[in-house]
Amino acid sequence: MMGTLSVLYFEDVKEGDEAPVKKHRLTRTDMVRYAGASGDYMPMHHDEVFAKSIGQPSVFGHGMFSMGLLGAAITDWVGKTALTRYKVRFASQTWPDEELRTQVTVTGKTVDEGRRHLVNMECKLLNSEGDVKVVGEAQAVLPSRS
Amino acid sequence: MDDAEQLDEDLSKLIGRATGKSRVMLERGPVSYFAIGVCDKSPVYQDPRAAEAAGLPGIPVPPTFSFAWDTWGKFAEMQPDDVPQGIAVGEIVGSLMSKGGMILHGEQEFVYHKPVFAGDVLLGEGKVVDAYRKESKGHVMTFVVTEMVWHDDKTGDLAVTSRSNIIHRL
Repeated sequence: MMGTLSVLYFEDVKEGDEAPVKKHRLTRTDMVRYAGASGDYMPMHHDEVFAKSIGQPSVFGHGMFSMGLLGAAITDWVGKTALTRYKVRFASQTWPDEELRTQVTVTGKTVDEGRRHLVNMECKLLNSEGDVKVVGEAQAVLPSRS
Repeated sequence: MDDAEQLDEDLSKLIGRATGKSRVMLERGPVSYFAIGVCDKSPVYQDPRAAEAAGLPGIPVPPTFSFAWDTWGKFAEMQPDDVPQGIAVGEIVGSLMSKGGMILHGEQEFVYHKPVFAGDVLLGEGKVVDAYRKESKGHVMTFVVTEMVWHDDKTGDLAVTSRSNIIHRL
């Protein structure tokens, strides 16, 4: 893997372009691992008995796991330190065994007053039925060939 | 003044209140493990040689890592003495939940002013930036928007702004 990371240039991107799709089947182990990695031990994300006691069908995923997974897909494409802004709305819960997939689409390009080359994206995390889990927008600064 | 008016007034008093101030160290182990926790398999989070090969000065942090760095890097001896009087986010949530209902994370926004790397120390200050109520589909929804602004502790440069919209649904 090392040394194979390619650089995305501003000139290589146009409106409507899509980042490579990242797919992930959500497991209860993902939820436990994210709880440990983040320190977010809200019980409805790892304790099935608790989740059912508050009327949920099972444990469900952390919203911030979804935002993190989507962020991985965005930064795999634009570069790990390229983001200038990333905002999402948590539209619906994620459930064990759902196949989540990312959808990142370029909505526009600009050069700002500081000569930064910026790319705007719409980003979504969906399940295989197309239900939206997370929807938002991101902006990245890309290197230019000019 | 009826109950609803009283609640609206209590909410408007929250706006502008400080929610805390803390200094955090971004350590490599937590950064690397957090990347695995969000299914990001990039080698730049695991190996400084891969980060260097990608042209980076160090191991970067995943875009949502600020949600974990209080847990991992808020060491007692580093904390500032001049923490302003305020109300912790947990306290706000606790008082909303005292009436029952459910807390939801509605929206999350990050503004990245400059990249941060494992080894950096950041100083953050938080406040409530908005608080309001809405009725929707028979539920009373209370929205509280909090903001944390993080600066590089060494240079003073603005690093990351985080805005969270927390919803209480009753």
